[in-house]
Amino acid sequence: MRPSRTAYPLSWRLMDALEATAVAVWPRSFAAAVPWLMLLPAVLLVGLLVLGLWDMADGSLRTLDTATFLPSDDYSLRNYDRAFTEKLFFTVASRSLIGSLIVTVITLILAFPYSYVMVRTRSAALRKVLLIALFLPFFIGQVVRAYGWLIILGSQGMVNEALGLVGVAPVRLLYNYPAVLFGLVQYMLPFAVLMLAPALTAIPEEMESAAGSLGANWVKTFLHVVLPMAKPGFIGAGLVVLTLSLTDFAMPAILGGGSQDFIANAIYDQFFRTSDQGMGATLALLLVAVGSMMVGVVFALFGAGTLAMGRAK
Amino acid sequence: MTETIAADTPFAVSVRDVNMMFDGVHAVRDATFDLEKGRFLTILGPSGSGKTTLLRMIAGFGRPTSGDVVINGLAVGSVPPHKRSIGMVFQKLALFPHMTAAENVAFPLRMRRFDARTIPDRVQRYLDLVKLGKLGDRRIHELSGGQQQRVAIARALVFEPDLLLLDEPLAALDRKLREEMQLEFRRIQRELDVTTINVTHDQREALVVSDEIIVMDHGRIQQKARPEATYRQPKNAFVANFIGVTNFIEGTVASVDGDLIAFSRPGLAGRTGNGFRPTAGAPARGALRAEQIRIGGGREALGDVDTVFDGTVTDSIFEGERVVYEVAVADLGGTMLRVFDHDPVTHSQHDVGSTVALGWNVKDVLVFGD
Repeated sequence: MRPSRTAYPLSWRLMDALEATAVAVWPRSFAAAVPWLMLLPAVLLVGLLVLGLWDMADGSLRTLDTATFLPSDDYSLRNYDRAFTEKLFFTVASRSLIGSLIVTVITLILAFPYSYVMVRTRSAALRKVLLIALFLPFFIGQVVRAYGWLIILGSQGMVNEALGLVGVAPVRLLYNYPAVLFGLVQYMLPFAVLMLAPALTAIPEEMESAAGSLGANWVKTFLHVVLPMAKPGFIGAGLVVLTLSLTDFAMPAILGGGSQDFIANAIYDQFFRTSDQGMGATLALLLVAVGSMMVGVVFALFGAGTLAMGRAK
Repeated sequence: MTETIAADTPFAVSVRDVNMMFDGVHAVRDATFDLEKGRFLTILGPSGSGKTTLLRMIAGFGRPTSGDVVINGLAVGSVPPHKRSIGMVFQKLALFPHMTAAENVAFPLRMRRFDARTIPDRVQRYLDLVKLGKLGDRRIHELSGGQQQRVAIARALVFEPDLLLLDEPLAALDRKLREEMQLEFRRIQRELDVTTINVTHDQREALVVSDEIIVMDHGRIQQKARPEATYRQPKNAFVANFIGVTNFIEGTVASVDGDLIAFSRPGLAGRTGNGFRPTAGAPARGALRAEQIRIGGGREALGDVDTVFDGTVTDSIFEGERVVYEVAVADLGGTMLRVFDHDPVTHSQHDVGSTVALGWNVKDVLVFGD
């Protein structure tokens, strides 16, 4: 008997056909291998990265021969010595580190109310507007956005034109540290909101009502209940923002105009301007080390937050 | 601060003509009642009856569209929850997972600025009250469901609120634990003499724990009475149907003689429920509890009863302590009556399809117009 169309819709039959094909191609007795097989592409990709790192480690130990512009054949720690002693590298490194910390703090502060309203609002329309506003920047690349800021903040940009109308002389809004941090915060905000929102969704509204009935006003409710319960979200969001802004290239390059280089810009210069691949590799490895250490410290101090995932205890 | 003013009213809570509308729904209509200090009131109703909305307004989580909520003689319309002296146990308990049991209990004391030196003793006293004296250091997820209930109760009571509100906190528990906790609520309420309002859809819970029961349906208070009166003298067919297992026999009124109402069906009569005074010919329904009906193989087995009908057993359900028969009565237009048989000696003696005699007394049939 043929099952009727409504009782057995087309989509189910398609699934049946797919399953039958799958069994023909991959017999059921191989089923135990499937999860591992699905992991394989990711493992290969990470493996390639590690290979690349190995190659860079090799390169970082060879100094550039200024006569031939070729890496030396013998190994030395000269590049590392330069990285730790030359003032330029120290300036770039501290600028990146301090900048990414400032960006992380500001971004988290701005992201919290945004995600809170997005999660808690009763208005479906407002939630949609907030979500669209959040995803819109993703459709515009980072470089395009940075150029957008040039148009708005440039010496003949919209802001300065508006200031000119009220008789204020043009102000230099670009090519300085605050401009880079501003651009980074704007770039990081959606990431932070997206990481925070699930953590806030996980806090039942009843918790806040309970705090209220127990005598806490909204400030105390926030400090004693919402903030501690949202901690995993803050850690996850903070780590993502910290690592992304520490290693960012486009914002310092475009909004800093060459005067506000971060580590990634310095690495780029070594590889493609001075062609000192050894020095570039050294800086890149140091960046990986510093980034990993910062993540490690956060994990050790606060736990892995939402990044720990795994099954709930 | 509202709680510092000692008002000389006998009522802990007075609700005056309270209405609540949201999203076009009239959730609570003209609710009015008084609750004396120290009493345990249960608001009972099906889901969507407005009972939780009413409770949340008393707690301060929603302002009535119109009407007043008066606590200890003071209208509290504009007082936010954290300035009311109300302890509340929430449906999902809302215990703070990042604190220990003791920290949860200490939370309202810290928020309400109790003298820090007295807090540990007081927390211990309330943990002892709910029999969790040794488990204060446990985190919430290390406690069982029943223990979490106890922490929630201690946390709601530790600051000695004027009023304790229970928002169906027992709904998620299994039956045995739920019945145990009902008795705990009762014991603690009596021990502290705290005015309590409990919300539930569990009629058994309402009967077990309460001094008074308010039955709600469609946003309206249907009846406010003591548990026994709610059960024995339901004010309308809804209350009669919602509490207990009730059979309804539809018919028309033949004659009215004082409290006695005779139906046009031969042999069927009842007494008026809630002062219902119909004229002859009006439609009416008689409400009859399943436990008021006697069942026997023949009429002689029923003993002394006013009303007797024959019927056919259509189903027999064994529930352990009793058997529930479903009996179709041809002389009542095929009305299906549910009958309890609690006698372990005669249990399950009537097979499906067999003919039985049903008997009851006229005084047990309550006649309603709706």
